[in-house]
This record gives sequence, structure tokens and C-alpha cells, in this order.
Amino acid sequence: MVLERLKLDGKVAIVTGAGRGLGRQMALALAEAGADVVCAARTASQIDRTKSDIEALGHRAVAQSTDVRDSGQCDALVQRAVDEYGKLDIMLSNAGIGDMRGANAELWDVNDDDWHDTLDVNLSSAFYCARAASKVMAAQGHGGAIINLASGTAMRAYPMSFGYGAAKAGVIAITKSMSAMLVRHNIRVNCIIPGFVMQAPPGNEQAEIFAQTRGRYLPAQRLGYAWELGPLAIFLASDASSYVTGQGFVIDGGGLAGGLAPMGFAPEVPV
Amino acid sequence: MKNEWGDVRLGIDAYDLSGKRALVLGAGAPAGRAIALALGEAGADVTVSSISNDGDEIMRVKRVQQELTKMGRKSTTVATDITLGAGVQVMVRQVAKAFDGLDIMINAPDLFLGKAAESTTDVEWNKVMQTNLAGTFHGCRAAAKEMLKQESGGRIINVTSVLGERAIANAAAYCAAQAGVLNLTRALATEWGPRKITVNAIAAGWMDYSAAIGNPDPAANQTVRFVPMKRAGTADEIAPLAVYLASDSCGYISGQVMFVDGGLTTHL
Repeated sequence: MVLERLKLDGKVAIVTGAGRGLGRQMALALAEAGADVVCAARTASQIDRTKSDIEALGHRAVAQSTDVRDSGQCDALVQRAVDEYGKLDIMLSNAGIGDMRGANAELWDVNDDDWHDTLDVNLSSAFYCARAASKVMAAQGHGGAIINLASGTAMRAYPMSFGYGAAKAGVIAITKSMSAMLVRHNIRVNCIIPGFVMQAPPGNEQAEIFAQTRGRYLPAQRLGYAWELGPLAIFLASDASSYVTGQGFVIDGGGLAGGLAPMGFAPEVPV
Repeated sequence: MKNEWGDVRLGIDAYDLSGKRALVLGAGAPAGRAIALALGEAGADVTVSSISNDGDEIMRVKRVQQELTKMGRKSTTVATDITLGAGVQVMVRQVAKAFDGLDIMINAPDLFLGKAAESTTDVEWNKVMQTNLAGTFHGCRAAAKEMLKQESGGRIINVTSVLGERAIANAAAYCAAQAGVLNLTRALATEWGPRKITVNAIAAGWMDYSAAIGNPDPAANQTVRFVPMKRAGTADEIAPLAVYLASDSCGYISGQVMFVDGGLTTHL
């Protein structure tokens, strides 16, 4: 029965960046599908909210304040899951920051700190979390699923914050390599590659107009909604994707399928 | 559940296909059969079709229909020669008319040819192109003609192969045809996206039914030993992805090729 294979009953998941946006929706989705969830982010008040929302659904959750730039805190996060629930099945590394410090600067104005911080929070974090999680999963002996969050900016030019695109391209690359390294431990590693996805519903008219303007250039004629990543995360976390590893799953309203221009323009042959 | 996005399907109900009308072209072969049954399990009414007028194939399709009917789904068997666009169009029109619309179209023709390129005849080349590439286009076009009439749009899913993205010796016609399916999928996604039709593809790796690999037993098959998972996949491992791609929750994925291949390609 296909729906049974999508269920996550009895699984334990960690979601980083679970306080808001995509991470929050994916944490709620994994819980809805049956998983116990360790919600991690820097801002305690936000993950406390996700935790209580999951508990309101009748599932178990804990919140752990974590700065994913610090590998020691990533280790502690994985340990927390083991301490609370006795194991770890799903590591969803979502935490990241879309805007590089020094975004929109001239290339020569991007300083070393901006560059390193962008790589730390978006790329090193995925490595730290996967390293800690895979060690536990391998020792458990029943495999696991690691899901990283990359970005469509890794696939095309992204002049607004070029370090971000580079970091996310790195996430795609480590996803592939880690999948090959961890396959013998029955650990699957995949990544989700979002295009333009709204972190929250537009809060005012200006945000609404921005969303509509941006969305017009995509085949879907709209931006994505954060919640739409939830069902994709469940699929990749569950046994329904048992033969899927080392892959990137693009969710971008068809933007990259066209992609004759980096962004903001979708040409068509006049008919 | 209700959250800041409104009442959204975030759990297993995200994959619910109750009330959806689906058509599976190629239900007599393992991938199409598994997808048809999975769509049915998820709640869809599924019409199953052959891709040729071969009697044995049509009987295999008929048996899939019997399983769907046993599940309590509305299901009928139809036969079509997928290489003939007009015939496919008429068949799809009749199915859509009978079910008052069409929400999900699966195109799963799969004709493999293992042959040295220099020995491949025009007839063989045309047959492989006509079945895999033109056949997929015929299915997409006929489905879109129905889905474009609907406010709700639809979901088109093409089943293709890793050999559309990566190449292998002694299968040039097949590799070329499946590569065509990949960019056909992208082109149609850009074209029909504004009308709420998503078009995606599932690329299967070395499966236990693949004509490309012969005996799937890893002990006997060096090709299978090169798969990172050290085994061939099964049709049941393709089907859940089709259910997800067919669901209402998957409206923001289009023009994508998704690989179910045990880590063979590490694509993207």
C-alpha cells in the first residue's frame, strides 16, 4: 500500500532552521506524517512555537537552540535526539541564510568575513549535521535519510549574493559524494533545490505585488509556498524513496526547466 | 492542518488522489502497472491502456484493471497504438469523456533496443523513436487537449530512463529517444505551466525488469554491481514518486526529471 510507505510513524527527525519559513513547514509535515521532531534554530522563541504546534497535532517534539555554524552545537543537536528519543532516522539540514552579508556589493567589496560566514552557515552546516547524524545512523544499523537544502541559485548565475549560490552548489556536491560514501550503511542522502519560494504569506500589499511580479516569469505564474516543501520532505524521508539517493529535487515552478535567462525573464517563441 | 498558510495538506493526506481521474499508457509493463496500482491505492480512478495492439500486452493491461476494480476503483481497459498520434488522441478523448475530465496522465512506453549503432537499421531507429519519444509526445498532447479545458489543469508524468541523461554503448537509438523525452518534458512544462498543467519525468535506473541489463541478480550482473545500492530497483520503488507528482500538493514542481536509480547517476 503506497500511502503506508510514506508514513513516518516511529521515526525520529531533526530539522534545522525549524523556527520559520521552509524549515518550519517541513518540521510540521514530518510530524504530521508521524515522526517525532527535534526542532533546531538559533532563535529559541521561534522553535518553541514550532514545537508547541507539533504537540498540538498530537506528536512529540523538542526544541534545541543551535547555531549550525558551530560543529560542536551540531554534535550536541544529534545527541539531543538520541537522548530524547533513543535514535535518529532523519536529518533535515535546512538552516541557511539567503542573503550574503555584503549582498549587492561590487565583487571587490565582498570581504573575507562575508565570504566565510556565507559558506559556514549554508555549506559547512550541512556537513557538520550530516557528519554527526550519519555516525549515529550507521551505529544504529538500520540506515537513515539525510536531506539537505540547496537552492536554484546554485544552478544559474546569482549576482545578488554570489557566495550563496556557491555555498548551495557545494551542498549539491556534498550531497552526491555523501550519498556514495554512506550507501553501504543504508543511509540515503538527497537534497531539495527550491527556486523562488515565499517563506511566509505576503504580509502587505508591497509583498503581494513583489510576489506577483516575480511569479509572472515562472511557468507556474506564481512563487512557491513554503508549505509545498513539506510533502516533498516526507517523500525523501520515507521508505517511499527507498531507491532514491544522491539526487537533487528541484521545486521551482518550472523556472529552471526554461532557464534561457538567469532570472526574471521567460522567453517564448511568438505564435 | 491549519497554519499560517491556511488549511494545507501537510501529512499523508497530501498524497490523497481520491476523485482524481487518471490514465496510464503502458500499464501492461512493470513500471506502468506499478504506477497504475499505486494511483489506485491513493484513491484515483485509473483507466489503463496498452501502447500497442498486441493481444498479450492488452491482456496484461486487463489484469491490472481487474486489480484496480477489486480495490473499488472505477477502471477500464483501453488499447491503443502509441505510435499513431491520431489514435491516441481519439482514445484519450473517449476516456476523458467517460470520466468527465482527466487529471493525471502517465506516459510509460518503454521499447528498448540493444544493438550496435552501426548495425541499427532505419526501421529499428524509427520504431524506437516512434514508440518512446513520439509516443510520449502523443500522450502528452492528447492529455493536454483535455486538461487545457479544465480550470484545474492537470499532471503529466513521463516515465523515462537514466539512459536519457547518461549514455551506454549499444543502445544509441534508445539513449537518443529518452534524451528527447527529457527535454520534451521541460519544453511542455514551460508551455503549459501557465494553464496549471505540470509536466515531469521519472527516470528509472537499472530495474529488475530492465531489458537493458538482462539478469538483474547482482551476482551474475556486473552492471548491477556498479549501482551504489548494489541491487536493481523494483517497479514498486518508482510508483510512490508518481503518486507524489500526481498530487495536488505538487503544484510547484514542473519541468523536472527525477531519478530513481539507487545512486547510479547522482544527478543534479
